[in-house]
Amino acid sequence: MDFSDILSGGQQELRRGTVVLACLLLLRQPDYGYALLDRLRDLGLSVDANTLYPLLRRLESQGLLTSSWDTEESRPRKFYRTNADGERLAVELLADWERLDAAIRGLSQGDAR
Amino acid sequence: MTDPTPSSTLTDRYVWAVLRDVPSGDRPELEREIRALIGDAIEAAAANGTLDAEAAERAALTELGSPGGLASRYTGRRNYVIGPNIYPVWQALLRLLLTILIPLIGVLALAASLIEGSTIGQAIVAGIFGAFQVAVQTLFWFTLVFAIIERVAAPTGPIEFGAAGVVVGRGAGVRPWTVDDLPALPDAGRISLGELVASLAANALVLVALVWFQLTSAIVIDGHATPLFDPALWSFWLPWFIVVTILEIVFTTAVYLRGHWTTAYAIGNALLGAAFAIPAIYLLANDLLFNPALVDAAVTAAGGTGAWLQPTKVIVGVSIAVIVGWDGFDGFRKARRSAAAANGARG
Repeated sequence: MDFSDILSGGQQELRRGTVVLACLLLLRQPDYGYALLDRLRDLGLSVDANTLYPLLRRLESQGLLTSSWDTEESRPRKFYRTNADGERLAVELLADWERLDAAIRGLSQGDAR
Repeated sequence: MTDPTPSSTLTDRYVWAVLRDVPSGDRPELEREIRALIGDAIEAAAANGTLDAEAAERAALTELGSPGGLASRYTGRRNYVIGPNIYPVWQALLRLLLTILIPLIGVLALAASLIEGSTIGQAIVAGIFGAFQVAVQTLFWFTLVFAIIERVAAPTGPIEFGAAGVVVGRGAGVRPWTVDDLPALPDAGRISLGELVASLAANALVLVALVWFQLTSAIVIDGHATPLFDPALWSFWLPWFIVVTILEIVFTTAVYLRGHWTTAYAIGNALLGAAFAIPAIYLLANDLLFNPALVDAAVTAAGGTGAWLQPTKVIVGVSIAVIVGWDGFDGFRKARRSAAAANGARG
């Protein structure tokens, strides 16, 4: 197997969970699917459209996001927003993220010595 | 929402292709959502200025990928027949069954053809055809049983976002795994692959006897194909026996996947056995089981005397009762041994 294949596989594994966390954090401000996709990409968290949209729907059905249709614009858009449960999950995941970050940081510094 | 431009049909076709794979209750909401998302993507692509309307639509739909894939991500439905949890068991068992059945049926069909007076060439063709048929049938029914187990019993959440690692192994297949699923050490109520194959083969033979002797011209008397069992039984009892036998196959496979016997399995096993044996013995005792035409022909062949009929009925009936009774008892014995082994292991 090619190194670049191994790399992209490893990156995919690493990023899988971060998309959920990033969505919960970004959607503290209500937004619609396509704009969220754009914002994630601008942040360097590239995610496929056909992964993100079903994910939003799943988070909604799990009661972490609330959705509403905005029909003011020329085209109706479904806006998602992180609700109280979503916020609670985001805080927990963020704490976990920081623990992981500290642990990995410690490991890589230990390596350098 | 749908512009009357020619290119709008591409989006319509895409949306339709996604929605047909989605439960009808979810369709209106999902259609609205997907159309909005496609609209946004087209708008963004067109805003770049480099693409015309149709190219922008194509780009937007291409980015969403295959409609079937998108639908399965939305529904979290399994788009596979047999998943990774039970695939190893399916593969190992199928290989074993085919290695036993293909040569066996091939040789039997060849021999049967020779007995009927065919030439060697015809007999070889019959053997190959028989082996091929049994391979196809086994593959189909066996896979069907596993596909049902996969849908009824195997654990998986949404495929896309589930845990990255999947534990594959015997006993992990039917439910979320717990330490209680750990197989007991050998010889303590653990159902072995050999037992499983023996049981599956026995049940397969019953099925073959039920269906094959009934529908094909396996027995020919005076030039007429004669079914083994009374054709009147098709109205209820033959389908009943067939269904019970198929349930036995599913059940035995489930016990094997679980890894060892439990009292609940032993009770289920005894009930299934009774569901088969009690009607069989009742029908036998009341001369309702075998085809009367066949019995008459046999009496004629025996020189007109039916004196052997009663003893034969008793032997067949007692055999059924002993085999099924032993099998039922054996289930409880193994469940007890398995429980004792588990207790012993705990201390």
